[in-house]
Amino acid sequence: MKKIIALLMALLMVGAVLAACGKTEEKKSDDKTAATEAVATADSATADSVASVADLEKVQKAGKLIVGITDFKPMDYQENGKWIGFDADMATKFAESLGVTVEFVEIDWDNKVLELNGGSVDCVWNGMTLTPEVTSAMSCSNAYLNNAQVVVVKKDVADKYGDAESCKTLSFAVESGSAGQEQAQTYGFKFTEVKDQATALMEVSSGTCDAAIIDSLMASAMVGEGTGYEQLTYTVALNSEEYGVGFRQGSDLTAKCNEFFATAKADGTLKATAEQYKVQTALIDG
Amino acid sequence: MDGFFQQFPIVFHALNVGFLQTLKLFAVTLLGAIPLGLIISFGSMSKFKPLSMVVRFIVWIVRGTPLMLQLLIIFYFPGLVFGQQLWGGGEGGRFFASAIAFIINYACYFSEIFRGGIQGVPHGQQEAGQVLGLSKSQIFFKITLLQMIKRIVPPMANEIITLVKDTSLARIIALQEVIWAGQAFLKGSEGISGAIWPLFFTGVYYLAFSGILTLLFGWVEKKLSYFKA
Repeated sequence: MKKIIALLMALLMVGAVLAACGKTEEKKSDDKTAATEAVATADSATADSVASVADLEKVQKAGKLIVGITDFKPMDYQENGKWIGFDADMATKFAESLGVTVEFVEIDWDNKVLELNGGSVDCVWNGMTLTPEVTSAMSCSNAYLNNAQVVVVKKDVADKYGDAESCKTLSFAVESGSAGQEQAQTYGFKFTEVKDQATALMEVSSGTCDAAIIDSLMASAMVGEGTGYEQLTYTVALNSEEYGVGFRQGSDLTAKCNEFFATAKADGTLKATAEQYKVQTALIDG
Repeated sequence: MDGFFQQFPIVFHALNVGFLQTLKLFAVTLLGAIPLGLIISFGSMSKFKPLSMVVRFIVWIVRGTPLMLQLLIIFYFPGLVFGQQLWGGGEGGRFFASAIAFIINYACYFSEIFRGGIQGVPHGQQEAGQVLGLSKSQIFFKITLLQMIKRIVPPMANEIITLVKDTSLARIIALQEVIWAGQAFLKGSEGISGAIWPLFFTGVYYLAFSGILTLLFGWVEKKLSYFKA
């Protein structure tokens, strides 16, 4: 009996620790202020909030910015063993502006918040849609690219599904936790959650689902003539949305990143890089 | 890039790189888990009750929770709770964390096999050693361990072949082993996207490697059949 009580106590303690973490995270979300204030709070705060707020210092001390990505053309992809793409190039330039080198690490996208809060990556920079879920779980930069969620169907039936209403009869595959899933829920579609957008496309091409909802930038790169999915096409755009870069809650790097984007826009690097990867039409003006 | 024959060299290379990571994790796990497993088996057989109880408690936790969960906890927990990332976010750090999780997990399974093997050697064997005037350590190494190794080959072969396939779990913390490498072509990598066959093709690697292991263990078993016990 004693042992059982001891075990329950131990479990309770673990629970309490986790709950405490959750709370500090919430508090941190509303202070997106600069390093000066971060240092002031650091004195009174616990060890973990020091690490998660003074990121600039951490990154500069380590001499490298660790960027969490996935293989996602045209944002981040490999050529001759080197990561390139619109996001990869911009991340490299951002790291240069901080005076550090960049290190790209492929992560499991489902675990991006864990990766950030656990400190194994410093930011996630991979065509991330700024949903309410994303912005409440991490500190996000200003949006830098426009995107939309589009419906992907087989080419031979595409003209039957020209608007959202006609898609209601289809069965959808969506990436679990993605912006596409949100749209499916908003429109009341029947959907199956799959691991990633690529799996969603596979479901459509193999016929296990009628349609998928994925990012328009990804759809333009992966679906249609000259791609791996020639028999598929995309029809309806369900919404419009924006891409941003994610940092840890309360990180002082977010402000740095916004400064960086402003400079890159002013001196034309942003536009030039976008043109290099053919995403210039999606750039956010102003 | 449509044709299978154009895709094959690229995919083959990527899968080889991934499988090398699988093999590395496999080898490091075995090297770490066998000695640690032996130590744990001594702990669980200890006559000092508190020690054996603690060890059995740990074995219960490790065997009673999914390895995937253990990987997640070992990799993310230190950074989340103590604000100190132990492993580093790079590929090396991910490999190191996976290796630690696999070693602990497999050591616990191995320890039970070892315990069964050691306790399965008839007590009379040790008595015979005492009669011959051997010391305690001589009895263990020259009599018990020798006979235990022979007994544990089939169950160990079982666990080790399971280990080959379990290495794929490390992809949960983004260790880029062979399944990860195969899946990359689904989403698009190196100019190939929407290719499903690389993922299925990874099965060939596992099959071939476990085939080699099966032959190896068959040979070891034959070699060790020196006492007709």
